[in-house]
Amino acid sequence: MKQVYIYKFFERFWHWMQALLIGILMITGFEIHSTYNLLGYETAVNVHDISAWAFLVLIVFAIFWHFTTGEWRQYIPTTKLVKAQVDYYLFGIFKGAHHPTKKLIYNKFNPLQRIIYLGLKVLVIPVQVISGFLYLYFHYPLKGFELDSLELVAIFHTFGAFMLLVFVIAHVYLTTTGHKPLSAIKAMVTGWEEMDDETIRERMADDIEIALLKTKSQFKGGSGESEILDNALTTAQEKAGIKAILKDNKFRDAISSSGVGYFCISKEGNYLEVNDSWAKLYRYESQKEIIGKHYRLSRTDEDFADLEKSVEKVLQGETINHGEVKRICKDGTFGYHTLTLAPVVTDGNIIAFEGFIIDTTDKLLAEKELLKKKIRVEEKLRSKNT
Amino acid sequence: MVKQLSLILILAFFALVLNAQEDSETLEVSRIEVNNYTWKENRVSTNQANHSSFEILNNEFENAHEVTEACLSCHTKRDEEIMATSHWNWERSEMLEGKGAVPVGKKNILNNFCIGVAGSEASCMRCHIGYGWKDQSFDFDEPRNIDCLVCHDNSGTYEKAKGGAGYPSPTVNLNYVAKNVGLPKRENCGVCHFWGGGGNNVKHGDMEIALIDGSRELDVHMAIEGEDMSCVDCHVTEKHQMAGKLYALSSENKDRATCEQCHTDSPHANQTINDHNLRVACQTCHIPEYAKANGTKMIWDWSTAGVLDDEGNPIHESDADGNHNYLSIKGTFVYDDHVTPEYLWFNGIANHQLITDKIDTIPVQMNSLDGSYKDKGILQKSLHPSKIWPVKVHRGKQVYDTENMTLIQPKLWSANKGDSAYWMDFDWDMANKAGMDYLDLPYSGNYDFVETEMYWPLNHMVAPKEQSLSCKDCHTRNNGRLAALNDFYLPGRDKNKYLDGFGIALVVMTLFGVLAHGSIRIFISRKNS
Repeated sequence: MKQVYIYKFFERFWHWMQALLIGILMITGFEIHSTYNLLGYETAVNVHDISAWAFLVLIVFAIFWHFTTGEWRQYIPTTKLVKAQVDYYLFGIFKGAHHPTKKLIYNKFNPLQRIIYLGLKVLVIPVQVISGFLYLYFHYPLKGFELDSLELVAIFHTFGAFMLLVFVIAHVYLTTTGHKPLSAIKAMVTGWEEMDDETIRERMADDIEIALLKTKSQFKGGSGESEILDNALTTAQEKAGIKAILKDNKFRDAISSSGVGYFCISKEGNYLEVNDSWAKLYRYESQKEIIGKHYRLSRTDEDFADLEKSVEKVLQGETINHGEVKRICKDGTFGYHTLTLAPVVTDGNIIAFEGFIIDTTDKLLAEKELLKKKIRVEEKLRSKNT
Repeated sequence: MVKQLSLILILAFFALVLNAQEDSETLEVSRIEVNNYTWKENRVSTNQANHSSFEILNNEFENAHEVTEACLSCHTKRDEEIMATSHWNWERSEMLEGKGAVPVGKKNILNNFCIGVAGSEASCMRCHIGYGWKDQSFDFDEPRNIDCLVCHDNSGTYEKAKGGAGYPSPTVNLNYVAKNVGLPKRENCGVCHFWGGGGNNVKHGDMEIALIDGSRELDVHMAIEGEDMSCVDCHVTEKHQMAGKLYALSSENKDRATCEQCHTDSPHANQTINDHNLRVACQTCHIPEYAKANGTKMIWDWSTAGVLDDEGNPIHESDADGNHNYLSIKGTFVYDDHVTPEYLWFNGIANHQLITDKIDTIPVQMNSLDGSYKDKGILQKSLHPSKIWPVKVHRGKQVYDTENMTLIQPKLWSANKGDSAYWMDFDWDMANKAGMDYLDLPYSGNYDFVETEMYWPLNHMVAPKEQSLSCKDCHTRNNGRLAALNDFYLPGRDKNKYLDGFGIALVVMTLFGVLAHGSIRIFISRKNS
């Protein structure tokens, strides 16, 4: 099991604030609708009004956040895998099947989520806000902009409320369908989601594919290199099903700060190209120091054998998403990263292979420290007992 | 970078929300703020001249006219002011919808209590601010006919004679009264306005003698232990023209005495409640019930009048509270106290069933209050949107001409038998003929009794704030105060039953689906483990 950081700080704040406000609005709103008596009508109205304003402010901030971070793209609807998802919830889930979609940093919502959340954002919530405003300010037929009756407003507002209530019920229930019943809620609280190694590997692979872009944007030179990347990009795009995302500059910029290392190695095993990030991860002062040298330099002897086997497969045309590997830096220190390997094909011939690396050293070191500590504590306990 | 942005967003969010909350929490002041009003503790007894030292008031008055002459000898031109008032003329020209400008007032408007004054002036004019209006020959241009004392007596000893056409009782010491005059007090106005309809609180329901020394519970404004306000504190008077009007008699939306003149149109700390004032009159929430001390007449059925005892004398019967429930001269009554008002849209414009109007609705609408939810006031009849008003509705049954299809003004009062007065001779036909002849109006000789309704918007007996209506009195599904006023959508009262049915069904189905899905998952995972 590993933890993966999915939900950012503001995102979580926004989600829970929204949950709280919708809850308050729902409780007070249905009291105003005379569905029950709870707080007292006047209190209910006042609380409903104040929460409505708070919600409006929150919406403005959330819109700002979505657009400045580009997160709004998470809600672009897709029909891909919807059927698979429906099949999963109707049948697969009972048989212990895997969820057909993966939760990723760059694609954290599954197709159903995309559709439902988008519907909430562009339909239900705007209907509630607009009808709420009419309720607040145009409820009396008066001069100027006016309503001949509040009935239509009330119908829309009540309809929206029912939709939200149904959403909340289904939404809360579906949180229990994660890895463990509470893992989705835990993730929304802490931002870190618990995933098994297999999921993480898949997730990383996908993230790396998306990260291709960053590297591409760093290549300013020859058209040949650009072509190589274009091919790789197309593959990644097809695989991730996120064409619309990749075409966007903002998104590329987002990737460019992610520190993904790129390398391209000739059939013979000599580095043809590495990017800045790669050089930094391996502690070379400039890319030139490594160009033309053999990739053997990057591994310990025992690990090199592993890598060679992988390279062999890649040269046969396979694409490999590696788990975590250990690298030897220029100064002899070790580092850890995940790795992808893919062949570079020109005119039907494999002429080289390329890949991306994402550094995991810090996390690994932290885990090791934790483990050491755990062992120390256990030893202490043991010595005490004896 | 992202984290910083998030922090800024979150801090700004709270700042905005908390700030907005603070604004809405305007602290309620310890005392209600009012405009154009002097608090009791700040009032200085006005520099009223001590009339007892005036020589002219020492000469023994031969009659009431001499008192008026004495008054006018100093208060010059006041007679002209008086003669321009409705209190003097008992009519003024008002626009009635569909009828144009019509002189209306107590002189000619019918009600469903004692019906009307015509033919019975000598009795009814006990409540006229003049002397000698016994029939149509009364001279409205004679200043000596003005009764200054009935309004300005501060001695509490002035009284008009029964059946005396407005003249004081012979027992009144005119010199004593004339030396003890001042601004009108509640007693002065009340001597007529509390007794309309022939008894205390019969007509209005919210105006009666209990207000003279009332408690705060009865009326927050007039309570003696409170502000102890007099009528003219609200019914602001200039040149003897008093602000305020009674829609039993008048029609246009003007010259009104309003709550807003002191309290403004946004007196509450809560904006939502202030907003209600756009379409809800202050009175609606603040006069939750009327007739809080003594009963008021709710129903008057003239058709049962005329039953005499074995000796041919009129009968008096009273209910358990001491209110009449049968009088031979008037018929059957129903009184009630602590009455919940009925609620109507009202834009300040009333119409009247004139004696010349054909009866086209039953119950006959003696006066109708105009207004509806959709009456926005602009480009319509009134400049202000209709508001919901609390109204006393008085229901009656009174005599009408079955051929001419008009209401009838019967002659009711006379000092003597054989004068065709119903209260003496108990003969409807004679009384009808005498009354209609007096007005020079046709009477076919055929009469019956028809149901009538009359509307009295409530303004007095304002309750302490803790007794005013709360939201749930109206915003409630069933049996709310506004249950009958259903030409609009009222949140909390109304719902769309199809939408609610659909919504609830959807919620139930979702819950069921979720529970079923969850149960199957739990069941299967248990089985597998």
